[in-house]
Amino acid sequence: MVKLKTVRLRSVKEFQMIKITGEVADFVAQSGVQNGLVAVITAHTTTGIMMNESLPCVEEDIEEALERLIPKDSSYMHAHFLPSYGTTGGNSPGHLKSMLSGNNCILPVQDGKMVIGHAQDIYFVEFDGLKMRSYFIEVIGE
Amino acid sequence: MVIDMHVHPGFFQDICGDRERTEMRRQRYGLYKTSPCPLEHTLAVMDHAGIDKSVLLPLDLTTITGEVVISNDEVRTLVSLAPDRFVGFASVDPHRKDAAVELVRCFEDLGLSGLKLNPSSQRFHPGDAIMAPIYELCVKYDKPILFHSGLSWEPNAPAKYARPLEFEDVALEYPELRICLAHFGWPWIEETVMLLIKYPNVFTDTSLLYLDSPKDFYEQLFKKNMGPLWVDRNFADKVLFGSNAPRFRPVRLREGLEKVGFKPRTLEKILGLNAVHFLKLEA
Repeated sequence: MVKLKTVRLRSVKEFQMIKITGEVADFVAQSGVQNGLVAVITAHTTTGIMMNESLPCVEEDIEEALERLIPKDSSYMHAHFLPSYGTTGGNSPGHLKSMLSGNNCILPVQDGKMVIGHAQDIYFVEFDGLKMRSYFIEVIGE
Repeated sequence: MVIDMHVHPGFFQDICGDRERTEMRRQRYGLYKTSPCPLEHTLAVMDHAGIDKSVLLPLDLTTITGEVVISNDEVRTLVSLAPDRFVGFASVDPHRKDAAVELVRCFEDLGLSGLKLNPSSQRFHPGDAIMAPIYELCVKYDKPILFHSGLSWEPNAPAKYARPLEFEDVALEYPELRICLAHFGWPWIEETVMLLIKYPNVFTDTSLLYLDSPKDFYEQLFKKNMGPLWVDRNFADKVLFGSNAPRFRPVRLREGLEKVGFKPRTLEKILGLNAVHFLKLEA
């Protein structure tokens, strides 16, 4: 059995960690899948799906570490006019942070429930807000 | 007070009920991957950039393509949704036989605050005799004109109509008419500078980002193409903040301007005080 859900949201900051653990767990429970896997996948190239501990200090460290590695102002080649968009590329930091974060996470499903570590939470992470966004939750199993 | 003088509202969700019309706007503006956004998102983006008001610009191409890309009534609708945040301009295709009638309706019935004209996409020369009734109405109603000037990314919009020198006759013949040559008339910056220094009624805006990042491009414009103190010394009252949203992101252009190194008072004028004067919002 395969069940897919598309979730839409609106980011309200340039960098924003949005906790989606409950949304994913709820969809797993409603899916009817008893044993298998759940995948969470972002639909964008300047966002990420991240698993980490939901503490404000950890979230702050993640944001600051990414900013140190990938500063807003640098000689990014993406900063040029893009005819296919009709706009100028101004979001190279978002693309690079997305690369480091990754675009998905996968967790086991057992006895109809998502299995997750006690310190783990799932985040949809915005690296290029403010934007209208979406991500997918797919449950695969029997 | 921060005012974004240059916003194209074609993808504001409240006027995007018709999918074909939204797709038509993508093609006309050359914004091929832009999607409609709800009002709350638009206002959040303005808040994030510290923008108090945005000037919304329609586009009438009736005799060119048979389309009104964004209508005056649609702009009126949007202004009514957030009257404290939006200022609505009119657009008339100057080749329409009823152009003057429509402009009077915009000023008298719709209460719009100025006129946007695009010589490149609307295919007219600013100094042409057909423009006289339109300019005279703007003088009569004391409404400013925002002209597209210089390069346009719109697909069917030759720059020859919008070269800054094309506007000198207008500045000369209508000294009471406030005109803003958008985009600094890029790449003809020296022509724009000449008009700014000579004519008190000529202004320009900052809605240009044709190469590089905002920081790099503004540094090239304001520190290399122009003398590094030209704006502070000569044009502090003549440059208006404009983003050209959604083509360029307002917060990025504002950040770029803040990194140029203008005097604080100059920056304050560029970001809003000059637009207050241009729009006559003092009252």
